[in-house]
Amino acid sequence: MRQADVFGEVFAVELIMAGAVFLAVLAAVLYAVLRRRAGAAAGPSERAERPRLEAAYVAVLAAVAVFLVVYTALANHREHRTGHVGAPAGPPAAPEVVEVDVTAFQWCWTFRHPRPGGAGATSGTCRAEEVPTLVVPTGRPVRVELTSRDVIHSLWVPELRYKMDAFPHHTNSFTLTLDEEGRWLGRCAEFCGYRHYAMHFWLRAVSPGEYERWVAGHQAAAGGAA
Amino acid sequence: MSLTGTADVEPARHRPAPAPGGWLGWLTTTDHKRIGLLTLGTSLLVMLGMGVLALLMRGQLAQPEEHLVGPQVYNQLFTMHGSGMIYLVMTPFALGLGVYLVPLQVGAPVIAMPRATLLGYWLYVLGAAIMLSGFATPQGAHSDGWFSYPPMAARTYTPGVGSDLWIAGVFLATTGVILMAWAVLWTALRKRAEGMTMLRMPVFSWSMAATCLMVIGAFPALLAALALLAAGRVEPAVFDSNLWVIGYQHLFWFYGHPVVYVMFFPYLGAVAEVLAVFSGRRFFGYRGTVFALLVFAALSMSVWGHHMFTTGQATNDYYSLTSILLLVPAGVEYFAMLGTILGGRLVFRTPMLFALAFVPQFLIGGLTGIMVGTPVLDYHAQDSYFVVAHLHYVLFAGSAFGLFAGFYLWFPKATGVLLDERLGRWHFWLLVVGTNLTFFPMFFLGYAGMPRRVVTYLDGDGFGLLNLLSSCGAAVLAAGMTVFVVNLARAALRRAPRAGDDPWRGHTLEWATSSPPPRLNFDAAHPLPPLTSEAPLLDLRRRAADEARGAREGRGAREGRA
Ligand code: HEM
Ligand SMILES: [Cu+2]
Repeated sequence: MRQADVFGEVFAVELIMAGAVFLAVLAAVLYAVLRRRAGAAAGPSERAERPRLEAAYVAVLAAVAVFLVVYTALANHREHRTGHVGAPAGPPAAPEVVEVDVTAFQWCWTFRHPRPGGAGATSGTCRAEEVPTLVVPTGRPVRVELTSRDVIHSLWVPELRYKMDAFPHHTNSFTLTLDEEGRWLGRCAEFCGYRHYAMHFWLRAVSPGEYERWVAGHQAAAGGAA
Repeated sequence: MSLTGTADVEPARHRPAPAPGGWLGWLTTTDHKRIGLLTLGTSLLVMLGMGVLALLMRGQLAQPEEHLVGPQVYNQLFTMHGSGMIYLVMTPFALGLGVYLVPLQVGAPVIAMPRATLLGYWLYVLGAAIMLSGFATPQGAHSDGWFSYPPMAARTYTPGVGSDLWIAGVFLATTGVILMAWAVLWTALRKRAEGMTMLRMPVFSWSMAATCLMVIGAFPALLAALALLAAGRVEPAVFDSNLWVIGYQHLFWFYGHPVVYVMFFPYLGAVAEVLAVFSGRRFFGYRGTVFALLVFAALSMSVWGHHMFTTGQATNDYYSLTSILLLVPAGVEYFAMLGTILGGRLVFRTPMLFALAFVPQFLIGGLTGIMVGTPVLDYHAQDSYFVVAHLHYVLFAGSAFGLFAGFYLWFPKATGVLLDERLGRWHFWLLVVGTNLTFFPMFFLGYAGMPRRVVTYLDGDGFGLLNLLSSCGAAVLAAGMTVFVVNLARAALRRAPRAGDDPWRGHTLEWATSSPPPRLNFDAAHPLPPLTSEAPLLDLRRRAADEARGAREGRGAREGRA
């Protein structure tokens, strides 16, 4: 879960920095409240400004800003590099990319797993209260091609710390790589009307072998139904 | 014109025609103070109404799977609450403060373009009435959120007439605000008293000037976005092309980010005045602050895409760069506020309490703003309760606290009577507790995966406890606001103590005139003092003190010699 790893690292860094700034400002306010109150303090300072100190301070602020911009932009690029993180360089080891076409609509999702030659498996019927499941293999990069049939939705898997909007008449793509098997709840994050609050799905990661069996099974089922 | 006597302090061209008295006099007034008070009063009333909508939402969300209101109603509630608070409360209140105060602070007898200002107020009231009348239509009020993205907000997906009313209402109210911004800006630029140089304008007036620049530069983009939305409601096929769908977002947020600073600068300016006055000293780092405000306003026009990090259709690196750079001017403003209180002699009256709480509370909004301005963090936080928490820390824990700081500071000036300090303290403490209890848990909710704009959540989601805490906080806020209303009612009904011209030992020109000020702001009994700096009354007091000391020392020296 590269997205979650990158998020965790950057969030920790920014949280620590923010916490430090907050505590420093709070300490200054409390100091002023306790030690500069009318009863406790001598007269107010006459000093109107301290341009030297302020200039040095602006330089520090600018340095912090530049650090944050560069550091977080690099993290963003790392997150969006395709291919497997940590995989040895060179194509032989790179596992094959799996493609999934995700279509959002009011108020459900369809997940298509295209196969060469036009065939493919579709999961999720969205009948009644059924929550559809997006099945993906572990260890292989999954390229998600995301679009919408009506209004804007947004595919969010909180556990992955990642979301991407689904637009009508436009396809967004991103790559996920899941290292462990498991099942996580996904939600719609962009307001889309009456049942926006209930537009859930499951993301399920299974072993590559099980994934192949699953696609084959659903292909057959879909074919049989037709 | 030339008939006026030489003793007259005001040139005749400033003399307005005799105005009708009574309520008609108020509604047709060209006195900037009355237009300002009308605007402030109207937006305060709307604020209470929009607060009631928030209470309904918090009631619905207190427990999982509640049925107090259904999705249909909930979607109207958050839409009208959010858009009401932004378009009809925090923005017009900000401009109303400017209309009332900027002419006084720059020593002008009248506002520039008084009739356009009055028209602006009426457009605002008309827009508010039209927007809110959506509740009375069969399908109810508009329900697509305050930014109302198409195609969701197009006729196909939201057919109700409430949406059309919403578009018309927001359009009118925003047009009114733009008119007021021109008047305030023009007053600051062209109507300053002799000797009031730009760098002698008080921080609040500067914050208004920067605000008006943003209104004038960015608000027309909202009008364009609304026109596009209206076109899409007439002909939904407009939004069959991604160009106009994403184009709407660009137009909207080109307005939508600067408006956040429009709803922040004037309140920051109010806080700056309060901190200086109740620290008994000049605002620290005045020039740095003025410069920071202007840089801030300029940068604000370049950050809009940070609302679109998850669209996959924005240049995230660029918008993240400009957004994070904002911490530099913001940091300069904090430097000045902290410098003021650290070198002050603090007196804790109600305005000061609100101003002091503004400093750390707004900071939480600002620091989390850097987080959501970081693309890799925003991919998680966007459209979750983390953003709801962030925006309320900015707008409520920050701006609204600044609003109340300014309200308690200037209320005696505008009315001539003092509000009750004890009730003011109750209002303050209830608001501090309520605000943090309501909004802090929302950060955790968003982090844990609760999307915004959901009418309910499942028991199994595990959001119940934090939501319950948040709803309890809302109850505390309601209690605090009730105390506030009681305080106002007391002032209106009983004979509250007279304030006098300058109850707080103010620094700026509005405190040199009577409370309330005369029709032309300054008169023979209340002339303009010498305009020596951005704090002329402070200079006056200091000169008097110096002279007294000099006289004393002179006497002492003479006596020593004798
Ligand atoms: C100056 C005061 C306030 C401003 C400017 C403000 C602004 C907003 C905005 C812009 C939204 C987003 C609406 C949307 O998603 O389209 C919102 C939502 C919300 N606000 Fe406020 N608000 C204020 C005060 C309050 C207070 C006092 C409370 C609690 C008692 C509150 C509770 C909420 C809730 C529960 C939501 C809905 C969240 C959701 O369903 O996504 N707000 N507010
Ligand atoms: Cu959706």
